[in-house]
Parts: sequence; C-alpha cells; structure tokens
Amino acid sequence: MSEPVTEQLIEITLRVNGVPRTAAAPARRLLSDFLRHDLGLTGTHVGCEHGVCGACTVLLDGDPVRSCLLFAVTARGHEITTIEGIGDDPAALSPVQQAFVECHGLQCGFCTPGFVTTITAYLDEHPDPTPEQAREAVSGNLCRCTGYQNIVRSVLRAAEIRRERAGGDDR
Amino acid sequence: MSTRQVGEKVQRVEDPRLLTGNGRYLDDLGQGALQAAFVRSPHAHARITDIDVTDALDVDGVEGIYTYEDLDGRTGETLPVLIPHPSLTHPRTGHCLARDVVKHVGEAVVMVVARDRYLAEDACARIRVSYEPLPVVVGVEQARSGGHRVHDDVPDNVAAHLVQEVGDVEAALAAAPNTLTLELDIERSASMPLEGKGVYARWDTDDGSLRLYSSTQTSTGVRAAVAAKLGMPLAKVEVVTPDVGGGFGVKIVHPWPEEVLVPWAARRLGRDVKWTEDRREHFVSSSHERGQLQQVTVGFDDDGRLLGLDVRFWHDNGAYTPYGVIVPIITATQLLGPYKPGAYRVEWWSLYTNTVLVTPYRGAGRPQGCYAMERTMDAIAAHLGLDRAEVRSRNFIQPEEMPYDQGLMFQDGRPLRYDSGDFPASLAKLKALVGWDDFAAYRALAEREGRRVGIGIGCYVEGTGVGPYEGGVVQVETSGRVNVATGLTTQGQSHQTAFAQIVADELGVPMADVHVTTGDTRRMAYAVGTFASRGAVMSGNAVALAARVVRAKALRIAADALEVSPDDLDIADGVIAVKGAPGTSIDLKTVAVLSNPLRYAFDTSAQAATQFAGTFDPEKPPVADDDEPGLEGQDFYSPTQATFANGMHAAVVETDPVTAEIRILRYCVVHDCGTMVNPMVVEGQVHGGVAQGVGGALYERMVYDESGQLLNASFMDFLMPYATEVPHIETDHLETPSPLNPLGIKGAGEAGTIPVTAVIASALEDAEGFPIRSMPISPSELWELRLAHASDTAAPQEGSP
Amino acid sequence: MKITGTSTLDAPVEQVWEAILDPAVLAVCIPGCSSLTTVGDDRYAMTVTAGVAAIKGTYDGEVALGDLQAPSGLTLRARGAGSPGTIDADVKVRLTPNGGGTEVTYDANASVGGAIGGVGQRMLSGVTRKMAGEFFTALDAHIATGGAAPSVAAGVPSAAVAVPAAAGTPAVGTTFTGRAAAAPAAPTSTRDLVLAAVAGGLLALAGVALGARIGRRR
Repeated sequence: MSEPVTEQLIEITLRVNGVPRTAAAPARRLLSDFLRHDLGLTGTHVGCEHGVCGACTVLLDGDPVRSCLLFAVTARGHEITTIEGIGDDPAALSPVQQAFVECHGLQCGFCTPGFVTTITAYLDEHPDPTPEQAREAVSGNLCRCTGYQNIVRSVLRAAEIRRERAGGDDR
Repeated sequence: MSTRQVGEKVQRVEDPRLLTGNGRYLDDLGQGALQAAFVRSPHAHARITDIDVTDALDVDGVEGIYTYEDLDGRTGETLPVLIPHPSLTHPRTGHCLARDVVKHVGEAVVMVVARDRYLAEDACARIRVSYEPLPVVVGVEQARSGGHRVHDDVPDNVAAHLVQEVGDVEAALAAAPNTLTLELDIERSASMPLEGKGVYARWDTDDGSLRLYSSTQTSTGVRAAVAAKLGMPLAKVEVVTPDVGGGFGVKIVHPWPEEVLVPWAARRLGRDVKWTEDRREHFVSSSHERGQLQQVTVGFDDDGRLLGLDVRFWHDNGAYTPYGVIVPIITATQLLGPYKPGAYRVEWWSLYTNTVLVTPYRGAGRPQGCYAMERTMDAIAAHLGLDRAEVRSRNFIQPEEMPYDQGLMFQDGRPLRYDSGDFPASLAKLKALVGWDDFAAYRALAEREGRRVGIGIGCYVEGTGVGPYEGGVVQVETSGRVNVATGLTTQGQSHQTAFAQIVADELGVPMADVHVTTGDTRRMAYAVGTFASRGAVMSGNAVALAARVVRAKALRIAADALEVSPDDLDIADGVIAVKGAPGTSIDLKTVAVLSNPLRYAFDTSAQAATQFAGTFDPEKPPVADDDEPGLEGQDFYSPTQATFANGMHAAVVETDPVTAEIRILRYCVVHDCGTMVNPMVVEGQVHGGVAQGVGGALYERMVYDESGQLLNASFMDFLMPYATEVPHIETDHLETPSPLNPLGIKGAGEAGTIPVTAVIASALEDAEGFPIRSMPISPSELWELRLAHASDTAAPQEGSP
Repeated sequence: MKITGTSTLDAPVEQVWEAILDPAVLAVCIPGCSSLTTVGDDRYAMTVTAGVAAIKGTYDGEVALGDLQAPSGLTLRARGAGSPGTIDADVKVRLTPNGGGTEVTYDANASVGGAIGGVGQRMLSGVTRKMAGEFFTALDAHIATGGAAPSVAAGVPSAAVAVPAAAGTPAVGTTFTGRAAAAPAAPTSTRDLVLAAVAGGLLALAGVALGARIGRRR
C-alpha cells in the first residue's frame, strides 16, 4: 500500500504593499496562489502559470517578476507590491491607473494588473519614454482584448500625469 | 440640459474598480470552496479499460472521485446539440465524463474534488487509467479520405454536408470568358482569452437550490442546460456571470462538462465546489476554430466582373459537434462579402477528427469566407492585369441597391439580406487613408533602398445582431438611482458604460445615477447571450426601449402631479420640467415615490406616497387596472433579421529579401457599424480584433502530430502577438445607420478580425510576386515559397498599384 | 455497487476459516472496530469507526455469517448506520488453498446511502478494498503469531486495552474489544486509525486471543 500524503505547512511572512503579512502554506505554494488565496489579494491574476503572459506580474523589491514562477517561500524577507499596493482606492488612482482610464487601456481587465505593475516600475526608471520605448516596455505582457494601441498610449499618458502631479500637489 | 452621452467617448465606469484589484473574476470567488481537478485523456482515440484510483485515496483532503458510472439521472446523458440544422445529419456530442471511449486528447475521464487544487491535482496524478489506443484521424485530408472513423457510425467522418445555390453556376462558368481555380487553406487558431473557463457552485442545502457562477458568455443558456442535466426546476437554479477575463467565442459553448459536473458534485457533497482551468487544460479541452481547406472556381469577364462562383470547402469540426455547424454556415454565406457573385454555389463538408472541438472564435467562419473571396479577387486582378481595388469596386453592390437579398439563408435562419451600407464610400475612405494610389511611388522608393514592400486589401460584410431577442429592465428607485439589467453577459465590451449612456440619454438622467447589471439570471431571466457582435444591437436597443417605457410612465405621473400634459414635459439631469418653464418641475425620484402607493413610509421622502398625503385621487384605485406599482419598465428587442455591418482593411508589409522576415508597416481600417454608442469603445474593439487577426495571419496555429497530440499546448509554443507584433492601427469610420433598429446600431465586435488574414496574404503576394494560398505564414514558410517560385520573375505583378 | 478483490494469506485454509468464524479474532482484525458483541448464532453487533477520506464516522452495525461451507466459503451479510451514512452489503467469501497458504476472494454487492455515498463509486470501492486488504493482512498476522502481536512501526501511539479471557463458548451478549477501542482522539485517516490500533493493543490483547481459541470452535 502507498504511503499517505500530508503536507507540512510553513509559516511564510512577507512584506506585501508595505505591511507584514503571514500565512501558513506548503513549500510548493506559488507566490501567485499565496497572494491570491492565502492572503486574499485577488488583484493579481493567473493566465498561464508558465511565465509567458505576465498577468501575474508583481514587484519584488521594486522589480517586476512573474509571481507564477516563484514560490512564496522564496519571497520571504522581500518587499512585494501588488496592484492593490499601487492603488486600491477607485477614487484615488495612481498616475498609471488614471492613464489607463483616460486612454481606454483595458477592456476585460484581466491582464491589466500585470501591465500596471510593469509600467509603474518602468516609469520609475524611465520617466520620459518615446512611443517606441513605451511599446518595448510593455512587450512582455499579453493582452487579448485591446490590441495594445491604447496600452502604449497609456504609458505615455502616465508619464505625463506623473509630471503633472509632481509639478502640482505632492504624489 | 443633460449632455448627450450616446456618441461620446465616455470614460468607462468599470475601470476604476478593475484597475485597483477590485475585479471579481471567477477564481476570486469561493475562497472556502472545495476544488475540482480532472484526469484527462492523454490519447486522441482510445478505449478506457480500467480506472484505478487506489493510490489517490492516500492523498489527504480528497472528498470525492467520480467517473462516468457515478453520473446519475440525466447527468449521464450526452451533452446537448445546441444548434440543430437539417444538414447536420450526424451530430455527436460527448458525455460529461468519458464513457468507455475517449475521442480527443484532453477529454475528461475522472473528476477529483478535494480541499484545494494542489491536493486535487496530487490525487489526479495518482489515478491510473488504462487505455487501449484506437486509430486516430487528424486533419481534413485524413478525415475526408474516410480510412478511419472518429465515430463508428459516422461514415467518412462527415457530420454535415450542405449545398446552397443561387442561379446556375455550371452554365455561368461554362459561358465565362475567364475561369480560375484556387486551392486555399487556413489553419486552426483559438480564442485564447487570458482567463480560462471556471465554474463555482453554491449549493444551498436549506432550500435545495443552486447558485452557479460561470465564466460564460450566456447565463441563461447555462441555467437552462444545467437545470435540465441536474433534473432541477428552473426556479431552483440561478446563474451569475462574474467579471470575465475575455471570451471571444469559446465561452458561448454550454454546458461545458465542468458546468454540469461542478454543481452536480456540490449537490452531492452538500458543499460549495469550484473549478478553474489551467492553461494547458484550456488548450486541450475547450475549443479551437479556423481550420478549413477550400477550393474556389470563379468565372469572370474581361472587366473582372464575377459571373459565377463555385466554392467547395472542408471544415474540420474536431471530435464532437455541440455547437452544430454554425461556423461553416457563416463561411458559406458571408463569403460573398460586398459583392454580387453572379451565380453562386457553395458546397461544404464538416468533418470529424480526433482533436479538440471546433466552435466559434471571433469571426466565427467569416474570416475563412472572406479569405476565399478576397484571394479570388486578387487572383482575378492578377490574371487581368487590373488594379485590385478597381476589380473589387466593379463587383460592389451599390448603395441604391440596398436592401440587397443574396438569396441564401443566414445563420439565424433568416434571409441573407443586406439592409444598408455604402461600399464605394468605404473603399474611397480606405484608399485615401492608406494612400492606395500613391503606393507605386512608395514602392519604387523602397526598391531603390533594397527593400521589398507590398500593399494588400480586403473587404467584408458582417451580419450582426442576430436574434432571437434581448431584453432590458429599467427601474428608478426612490433615491433617484436607476437600475438597468439586461441578461446577456460582458467580457470586456464596456456594457456597463455603453448601456448607461443609452439609458441616461433616453431617461434624461446623469450617467452617474445609472447602474447596469449584465448576465445575472436573478435580475433578467430572459436573454440569449453575448456573441456574433450582437451586444450593442440587441441589448442596446432593448434597454433603450425599456427606458422609453419608464420615461412615458414618468411623464404621465409627473403630468398628473403638475397638472399639465405629458407632451409639455421634458426630463434633464433627473428633473422633469415643463418645456420653457423650468420653475414648474418635479424630480424623477419623487415621481418614483409617487409611482408606488404605500401604506408605510420607510423614510421621509416616502411619506408623499402614503394614504393621507393627498397625492392620490380617492375615486380611483391606487393602482389602475392597466398599471403596475413602481417606476419600472421592461421591453425586448427582437429583429426580423441580422443587420449588416461592413469594413475594408489595407496593410503595407515589408519582407526581408534575405531572411523573409515579415513586418507590417501600416494597418488601416475603415469600418461601418452604424451609430456608435461610444466611439472609444468601438475603436478598442477594432484594435483587439486586428491584433487577433495579425496573430492568425502570422503566428497562431495548432500543431497536431499524427497521433493527435497537440504539440504546442502552451503560450511558449502557441504564439500570440505581444505589443511589438501588432502595428499601429489607423482607423476611419463610416456611419450608415441600420434601418432595422431604433438606435441604428450595427455590431462591431468581430470587425477587426475578419479580413486580416486575407489582407496580409494580399500584401505579401504584392511584395513577393507569387500567390500566397496557405495561411498563416511564417518567415521560414515564405522563404520556402520563394525557393519554390525561383523560376518565376521576381518583378511585381502586372498592373498592381 | 459491486466490489471484488482477492487477498493472499500465508496461513492454511483451515486456520483462516477458523479465524474468520471467531468473533474475538474478527474484533481485533476488522479495521476501526472498537467492539463486537455476539447477538445470536454467527451474528454480531459491532461498532466500527471508519470512513472515506474526510467523511469519517462511527457506525453501529450488524454482521451475520451464513451459507457456511467449511472450510471453503461463506456469505457475510453486513448492515451499518452512522453519521456519514448507511451501508448494506452481501459479501461472498471463498477460500482456496494456494501452496501452503490461502487465496481469499470476496465478491460484494453493496449499497450505500447518505453522505458517504456522495464520494463516488470508485473511491468507495477503493477504500473498501483497502479495508478488506487490511482485514486479511491483520488476520494473517494474527494467525502467524498465534494471536500475539507482530512487531510494530515506530512512532505510532499505543492503545492498550486488556480484557479478561473468555472461557468456553462465548454466550450471546459477550463483547470482544477491538483494537480501535482506545484509538487516539482525532485520527487523520482511516489508515492511521488502523495503524494506531495495531501498534497499541496487540500485546495486551494476546490474552483475549488465547482465551478465544480455547473458546468456541467449529
């Protein structure tokens, strides 16, 4: 007869969106599943589980990573930023989120959190991209709805909004 | 005065929620539910000889393991044939869990329900199914040769066969001064929404009822099918469609086996059960589309006018036919495009293969039909040395010939009769947009630089807004909030915004007061679904009509209250006022209060509706015989036929003379979808469609080997375009309103996709100077074609621009 | 639902036959059995704690032995009810000599009701076959050691029970304690349950077995 299988649970503590979060999960729990199901942050989406579509993109210490290709345990001790951390208040959108609204950068919205995190990190490093650079910057994320036209425009508009906000009030 | 919303680029009301991680897609729901996973067949055709679950029993947290033998009542029957058709003489559908035989890789054999998905998959991995492999049929050629059968009782693997004819094609071809025959083929692709399918069932043990969430394109369809399969009264089943991460056709099929099995398990276990598919499952157990082999024989005069068109095609429908033969029917009818074919005969066979099901994917057979027609047009032009746009133009149905009956039956069982459209005007706009007449100069310049460029063109007509109907319910609450419900579903089409725009205009209220719900059978139980570019046409009109019912009632009540005639009144910004005398007014929300006579005032505003408030005539009943309480209205829109949108695309491509790499330099779209409720949304739909078209023309194909294994069942090997593969898309619009519905709308959902494969093939042919008949095409395939045509001159076609 | 299976035992046919007919042996070999009481000729009431995966519970039931054809075959008629549901089964058991040992084949016709029926036929039959396998293994081990305990896997909690040996034919109303009688409070699986019982009580129950052998014979 085969041996019974009971999984050992590990206490995993991460800093997510500026706050320490803890949950018990098996070692093999993917970061995407940990965020979504163990921490209840369902804004990060899973489109392929093999790292190609980018819908699961979150920021690990500020850099975009595919959370479907990381174990939650691997992220221990690191700072994770999800779409909720970029802005979870529909009435107070970040520059990138605001740009997407103005430019019709989303339709079904499923790929959107991955784009927003990616673009947010990109603009922190490259605040003033050309249209070609903007297109390159989002060329690692799949979208099946928009045909990318308005997403590229959203990158450029987000850069503008960042400048506008920096020039005016803080944030 | 309210600002008019319809026709404006209104920002979407759903965006702030979706952008801040507050979307509620299927897998976001039911965090405490049990989870299902499936053991799926690794064989394309095999008999199941044993299923041994012993080792799975040791996985902690397994709640149930089910096979076909467990399926009681109607759950054990085959899945329904959703759209029967007289030509579909041999329909075949599968069972929810395979019964004795599997007919494609990916068919579900065992369902495991466990505490979470990881454990369920652990259990699945330990289940040993023994198979006896059977001969496999892959591809149209093998299917039509009839050597092996997918279904024992279906000879030659023919599910359906149909001939449609208008005029005498044989005579026309015999008398034609010129004839040509083309052999064409298109490969499979698939909808591939970023979110796969998912089902979440909440079984209420207290009252024996089911609330089912599904990532579907039809709540009412799923509800009816699941109630039937579970032997439950409709009244005990509700279906709610949550946020959906894209559909593109694959989610209109219902019930998927999982849509039956998950609620069945929930009822059986008395627990909530959820299932979401992973990407590999989606590749091998949802559906594909596009694969056809085609043969066109065309007769034409020396001016390039069509005299006779004889088309035969073979359609690969996969292992089962739950959706009937809608795709080949659409190919056969929409092939005609904006042209008068002279005599037309189309014959097609829909064939079984041991591969994944084939059901509609954005375009739903139109891309294949457009491809056949547009390749033919280019071939005629090449043969006669004429300009390709000119040849098309000579065959156009003219605007004054509308409505134009092609003499065939369309996919809605109604005549293929174009109601409106101005094809010459569309073509003129397209030629201006892309610079058609200046291309020769551009090409000459490019050649001097050692570059190889070409221009292509494609035209299509799209029957949109098929029935049978959609409905709308509009209700004004005493707070002034306007609730709108329509039964079809949303997968990114901006319904919450577009329908709010329509109701805001019809009712004269601010958009911010209007809240739209779609796809919830609790709110609107009569509906069909979102597919075939019908959302705006059907539900847009339905909610407009429902809003008009409410408006009429509001004006009547207001007129009574203000002691004027309803004709003297207008509504703007939620206030009903006498035209020209704005001081005499009453709020719409107050009218809502008065519309419902009350015994009990639930708040101060409601006091006006109570029995002693003096607002009701004591001689009349509080609710008149022919009236109902409440400021609410319901209406349905049901068309006599589809309404026909049209479009024309052009592309400029560049091919590398050495490596045969293909780049799209420009992509231009002119389309006519009648009145546009929100031009920003329409344009977004076109962009998305073009991107999928580019994918289908250059990157996407399903690669099956001879044993029926799908070799590229992941995003690593099934190539969908990223931002760098989709060119900048230039659009221009024509608006010939539809004469068939009150708002003049025609559908636009599939417009971007339909002609792209044809247009790119056309441009590549122009660049390379030899025929391109097989799509999609990769650089290495283009390179091989170059070698094969090396004996031909490398000069561009005679007479091309 | 039909469930069939076979088990191969080292013990010879006659010993297996005797063991099956011995209520004290049944009590210690039936997985999850906490007690077995004689209620008539070859009829016993028993309490068994077992179940399928997460649907576990305690069943009160009756088992009756019939169609006795020594030493090759008999029919077991079992009926039980507990919080997870109900079971009703007819099991034909055949014993065939196999070298020096015994091949036992069983052929059961069972119907289940309640929640336990919700888990699916293959899961149910799979668990049943496992329990049958455990029963026959325990039977074989029991016979091999002459009723004393075989060596035990480390780390499994003990469940010690001692019951005075019964002398002579056990009368109606005599209760035999099963190994599961003092099982740990919350077993995580049926299998754990059985292991716990096996590990714990055998030494202590050796006396019972001896006493039983002195007792009724066929």
